[in-house]
Amino acid sequence: MEYFQFLIILMLSPLIQGIIRKLKANMQGRIGPGIFQPYYDLIRLLKKDMVISGVTSWIFKATPYIVFASTAAASMIVPVITTKSPFDVMGDVIALIYIFALGRFFMALSGLDAGTAFGGEGSSREMTVAILVEPMMMLSIFTAAISAGSTNIARIAGSGLLFSPSHILALSAFMIAIIAETGRIPVDNPDTHLELTMIHEGMLLEYSGKYLALMEWAHYMKQMLLFTIAVDIFFPAGISNGTESLALASSFGIYIVKILFMAGLMALVESTRAKIRFFQLPSILGGAFVLALLSLLTYIMMSK
Amino acid sequence: MEEIINKAVKTKRLFNELYIEVRKDDFKEACVYLYGKKRAILRLMFATDEREIDTAFKIYTVFSVPGTDKFHIIVLPLKDDLIFPSITPDIPAAHWYEREIRDMFGLTPKGHPDLRRLVLHDSFPCNSFPLRKDWNITEPELKEWGKGLVQKEPYSFMKVEGEGIYEIPVGPVHAGIIEPGHFRFSAVGETIFFLEPRLFYTHKGTEKHFESMSFFDGVKLAERVSGTSSFSHSTAYCMAVERMAGIEITEKAKAVRTLLLELERLYNHIGDIGNMCAGTGLAVGYAGGAVIKEKLMQLNERLAGSRYLRGMNEIGGVSKDIFIQADDILNIINEVTKEYKDFMKLLTGTVSHIERLENTGRLSKDIAVKLGVTGVAARASGINDDIRKAHPHLLYDKLDFEAHTMARGDVFARMMVRAEEAECSISMINALLENRYKGELAASIKEIPPCSSALGYTETPRGSVFYWVMSDKNGRPLRVKFRSPSYCNWPAVPFAVHGNIVPDFPLCNKSFNLSYSGCDM
Repeated sequence: MEYFQFLIILMLSPLIQGIIRKLKANMQGRIGPGIFQPYYDLIRLLKKDMVISGVTSWIFKATPYIVFASTAAASMIVPVITTKSPFDVMGDVIALIYIFALGRFFMALSGLDAGTAFGGEGSSREMTVAILVEPMMMLSIFTAAISAGSTNIARIAGSGLLFSPSHILALSAFMIAIIAETGRIPVDNPDTHLELTMIHEGMLLEYSGKYLALMEWAHYMKQMLLFTIAVDIFFPAGISNGTESLALASSFGIYIVKILFMAGLMALVESTRAKIRFFQLPSILGGAFVLALLSLLTYIMMSK
Repeated sequence: MEEIINKAVKTKRLFNELYIEVRKDDFKEACVYLYGKKRAILRLMFATDEREIDTAFKIYTVFSVPGTDKFHIIVLPLKDDLIFPSITPDIPAAHWYEREIRDMFGLTPKGHPDLRRLVLHDSFPCNSFPLRKDWNITEPELKEWGKGLVQKEPYSFMKVEGEGIYEIPVGPVHAGIIEPGHFRFSAVGETIFFLEPRLFYTHKGTEKHFESMSFFDGVKLAERVSGTSSFSHSTAYCMAVERMAGIEITEKAKAVRTLLLELERLYNHIGDIGNMCAGTGLAVGYAGGAVIKEKLMQLNERLAGSRYLRGMNEIGGVSKDIFIQADDILNIINEVTKEYKDFMKLLTGTVSHIERLENTGRLSKDIAVKLGVTGVAARASGINDDIRKAHPHLLYDKLDFEAHTMARGDVFARMMVRAEEAECSISMINALLENRYKGELAASIKEIPPCSSALGYTETPRGSVFYWVMSDKNGRPLRVKFRSPSYCNWPAVPFAVHGNIVPDFPLCNKSFNLSYSGCDM
């Protein structure tokens, strides 16, 4: 059972996306598509033929697999419903962040590969955002790691930490990192059709059919994975430390509630704000970095 | 003014139109005098092929002097030598008009700084001038053009060279359901250094089409020039034909037209304010604007049987008395007023949205004046110009309203000018519904007098629209020229986005909300 907990992320991530979309639609006064729509979209895309530009190289064709595989690998090392993960030894936060970086690197390359204007724009903007997000994400996780005495996510989650001021600061920074990483308002607009404003979507513009399905699915997984990391690190309460089926079932229930809370929060943030001007991103992301730094300092000061 | 009139070959007066026919040597001087000394606004410039009547092509430049309800129309006949002095170096607002005249009539503006083709695209043969009366085209010719065998004139975009400058071509096919237009950005990083739009992909030969139908059928075509300004366009067209036929419409017809013009303005302005939210990613605001707009459009459908108010105008008046549905209008307007206030409160209270609008897409007054920008865009840059005030028509001289201006010229100003005008439209609608109006719905006109002409105009939600019509010997259209506000405002967009960042372009563009179809004709 514990071998397959990553399947929860693999299979349920489109549903979470569907729920966020539905919530957003309701907040706008629309009915919106059903919550299973992302599954239908993926199935439809998987059945479709692809149109691939003649000028692309192997990078364009390899990227969907690399992105999907790296995200799937990342979800294996994250404890979802039990901290007793068979991939425990590899479950390091630093490894995790670099697995994400691998996917992102190839995605940016693929955006450039087809030589279109929008792809290049998307890649350049994504890398700009990444430079700002990665250190802050690391720093906020480190705060939790130091207090748990390990950079292993399972051990951080298993340490059952109580809430402290430094955790709240780190959580705030991490939430902003999630928004930036998942391409949501106010950093990026996932629902826009305006190519000139796109960041994440800009890199995917040239993809179609199966490749697009893989890229989209990987994106849904990454989103749920980030939610999972957030709940593992900052609200680990309720996660099972063993592998008994009853404990796993209750852990699963608690996990779903936590993820739904995260999804609701995302929908709320997206519905109440406008997208920020691109050149002001450093100020919001820089602010989040300061939060992460403060959380670390607070921890060091409080522990003395 | 006397000086010009003394030099004139002949003058003619019709209502508030003063036609001054000049010799070629005096043409430029007369235009520059009006523009420079009198601060006149260039409203329209066009050519006609009057070789059948007067053995000449003629160029008309329509000016209106601020503060007077009068149009000065300088007329230049061209008989043998098809070259006329370009006024663009002195009056930049004439730049597109002159290029269009060259494309359509083969009359060359001498001294124009940019003689690339404007309206006609590469596959259209050179030396073929579609608005000339003797122009025709056969089916085999059309096929030949399609194959590309005819000599074409390639279009060269302006090149910006320098370190770190790269070009971003966008369109003509866009991701959303919008009309086609090509935008060539030259950017330094994310900053827009230069933008060249290339439009006229939806050029449909509407002006030529008008010549093939009667003046009465032309109303239907005028309604379809630009979807969201259907009623304004048909009003301006009807007004031109009615003035030409020398009839005054009844007070009732005037009231119906005024009311519908304001209803059209209201749904457009609220819809446009909502659309700006799509540019900033504020989905809640976008949805809110769409809800109110939908209510107004459903009201339109109940009133006119058409969401875009088509079929209401006819030559001589209107087809239906909408005052019998006054209760329905009042109910909806009251409901909309309340929702609209909440909506504006939401938008102005959302700091992240307002922050995006402020200082984005700034259009300076100087450039706006030079390019002859009209409507909301002009008023948001501090130009106090509203056709409803400058040239009162329908019931606008009896209604109490103001032209709202803002000096800052950014996206925020364009939103606020729209917001204030929408409120103004609501109060005008309420005021109009309070009174009773006398008269028939429509006067009957059977005949259009031969060889006559007149101007028609009104203020669309985007700005001023002008129609100029002329009848031939049989009282059929010889020339129908129209100019939509988008035609004046498109050239200003590149100036507004200069120095902004590429991701802000859609927002700037939406704040102007220009029509492609209305511009391309």
